[in-house]
Amino acid sequence: MTPVTRRAIVQRGLLGGLLLLLGGGTGLALLPSRKVVETVPPLLALTPSRFQVLVAFAARAVPAGADAVAVALGVDRTLSYGSPEVRQDLDRLLGLFENALPGLLFDGRALPFTRLSPEGQDAVLESWRGSRLALRRTGFQALRKLCLAAYWVEEQGWPGVGYAPPSGLNRYAYDDSKVGTPEWIAAQPAEKRP
Amino acid sequence: MTRLASIRSSPRVVDGSAAASDLELGADVCVIGTGAGGAVTAAVLAEAGLDVLLLEEGGYATSDDFTMRERDVVPKLYQEAEARATADAGIAILQGRAVGGTTVVNWTTCFRTPEDVVDHWAKRHEVGGFAYGDLVPHYEAIERRLAIAKVEVESLNANNRALYDGCKALGWEADTLRRNVYACMQTGMCHLGCPVNAKRSMLVTIIPDAIDRGARLVFRARADRLEVERGAVQRLRGTLLDAGGRAPTGRTLSVRARRFVVSGGALNSPALLLRSGLDSGGVVGTRTFVHPALGSLALYDRPILPFEGAPQSAASHHFAHRGDDVGFFMEAVPWYPGLGATAVPGYGAPHLALMREAPRSALHVALLIDGFHDDVPGGRVTLRPSGAPLLDYPIVPRLWSAFRFAQKRMAEMQLASGARRALSLHDRPAEVAGREDIDAAVDALRWEIGAVPVFTAHLMGGCRMGDDPASSVVRSADLRHHTVENLHVIDGSVFPTSLGVNPQESIYGLARLAATRIAGAPR
Repeated sequence: MTPVTRRAIVQRGLLGGLLLLLGGGTGLALLPSRKVVETVPPLLALTPSRFQVLVAFAARAVPAGADAVAVALGVDRTLSYGSPEVRQDLDRLLGLFENALPGLLFDGRALPFTRLSPEGQDAVLESWRGSRLALRRTGFQALRKLCLAAYWVEEQGWPGVGYAPPSGLNRYAYDDSKVGTPEWIAAQPAEKRP
Repeated sequence: MTRLASIRSSPRVVDGSAAASDLELGADVCVIGTGAGGAVTAAVLAEAGLDVLLLEEGGYATSDDFTMRERDVVPKLYQEAEARATADAGIAILQGRAVGGTTVVNWTTCFRTPEDVVDHWAKRHEVGGFAYGDLVPHYEAIERRLAIAKVEVESLNANNRALYDGCKALGWEADTLRRNVYACMQTGMCHLGCPVNAKRSMLVTIIPDAIDRGARLVFRARADRLEVERGAVQRLRGTLLDAGGRAPTGRTLSVRARRFVVSGGALNSPALLLRSGLDSGGVVGTRTFVHPALGSLALYDRPILPFEGAPQSAASHHFAHRGDDVGFFMEAVPWYPGLGATAVPGYGAPHLALMREAPRSALHVALLIDGFHDDVPGGRVTLRPSGAPLLDYPIVPRLWSAFRFAQKRMAEMQLASGARRALSLHDRPAEVAGREDIDAAVDALRWEIGAVPVFTAHLMGGCRMGDDPASSVVRSADLRHHTVENLHVIDGSVFPTSLGVNPQESIYGLARLAATRIAGAPR
């Protein structure tokens, strides 16, 4: 068997490498997923099936009670600004998260991620998080960061963390490119000079 | 007076997304990229009377767009909406993508290139085209134009003051920073574009200067490749992007010019050269440096409010020179909920509990000074199948060793500043309350990718300058390509090493020097 080098993994992209490690493409058995969202909204980057997995992940990652569908839509929006390869990597990552076969290998679970209980899903997250495989750790972190960023850029969580940015300051914006230059300062009325 | 609104609506500024047909343009000089390097170059060459065409892949956002909300602003101003990362996802990359480039979103810190770094380039990297003294008048001119001034200690926000006080308490060097702001309202929103234009970014200063002097600008225009024949660039081929910057409109761009300047920054410039078949014998893309940055979170019993005030206004270079070990410098960073949430460890309820500490927390970073040790080769930019750049930056053992040392020093500094606890940002963090606990706690951490977040906002190298064509891409005197006579690279990608300081002023100064020499050259 050809050794799997770091370079080989990088060349195949983040998740391509992980699939390689798992013997991906040789017929991974997929048990059917659970429909987490009955009607998938229009998406910019993800496929509907991967979106279902992302919603399930988001529900465990963001604060309890948050709208996981809205979070997943935020992630989809972020991904729409990435390269095609980044979107493909995320697609593969979500596929692996869901797939029961590698799940059985690494986590001892025989069900797709979406079919697990919340406790079972948390166990999968912990397994990826602390994995000895860098690709699993970084894959977990990528999903974690995307979901948390998508949740926290929205205002609903801000009061709880004391964040209250100002708004409407734009109307005080300088409309002069020369502001702050010695010539500009000299041209200001004396009472307005610093 | 130059009204910014009039610049934005000038007939010389063209929105590529709205073009009804393919664009075929000509110019004396075509400058690709409008960040620190491209903007300064364009202004100098336009001042010299040349017909300058600026191209920008990003959009033309203004203070009206800077709503101080990450959701609105990040997709408009950052590459890949802040989700860019290195090939193995080990390092998150913050890089601007807009008219004005990263200068629109940086935290306003200004340093001249340290003189010892310029000397090192001359001695070790065959940079003989200029000396530090040649750069000084250009720094001075830029400092006047951008109102660069040193911050008073009394005006530091609590986040920066903690770093300053902690270092001083330990007898370490620390100082306030110089910032390119005028009448700053201390909104803390530098990261999201200054809503009041107090930040003197390229967007509101040098680009208007260039337009005033006759330069033209096409934004939402992506440079795909340079067509080179007979030792010269004959034409640039590009793609016009939709208003969101996500997809091609189906319209194309073609530019003929007597001279081309590549100023896309340390990932996009090498990528453009590679797409154009200009790999300089395998040199292009190599020795890319990023100041890999590691964070430490300090929790206090007093309010810190790290989201208020000038985000970055103090630094310590006490550990910049460590001989055989990799040095680093320490700075404070601002806290925004979306960005902060990615730095705070964990998920679910434990993550939320740490987020709630935000008003009483300070976040500091150690930035490793990469590129000065033989076994720290930096990263390499290659092309993805789609042609987008991909940075492969392995974190080598010497960097991990420096990270471990830096983590300990940051914890010491934070505790010395009065923090009740200091936390690493590891997925399973070290948490210390006393100086005596630091070594054991940090030594027990996992030091590997995916176990600790590393990020960069400083991208350097990849098209390095030097006077040996076998080991560099452009000559140092005027940053002209070694073999393509009408091609220059003018941006942070030409640095042969990292800088050990925040890079924006280094780029301004070097760009101004190179552009001045180009303007004075026979046409």
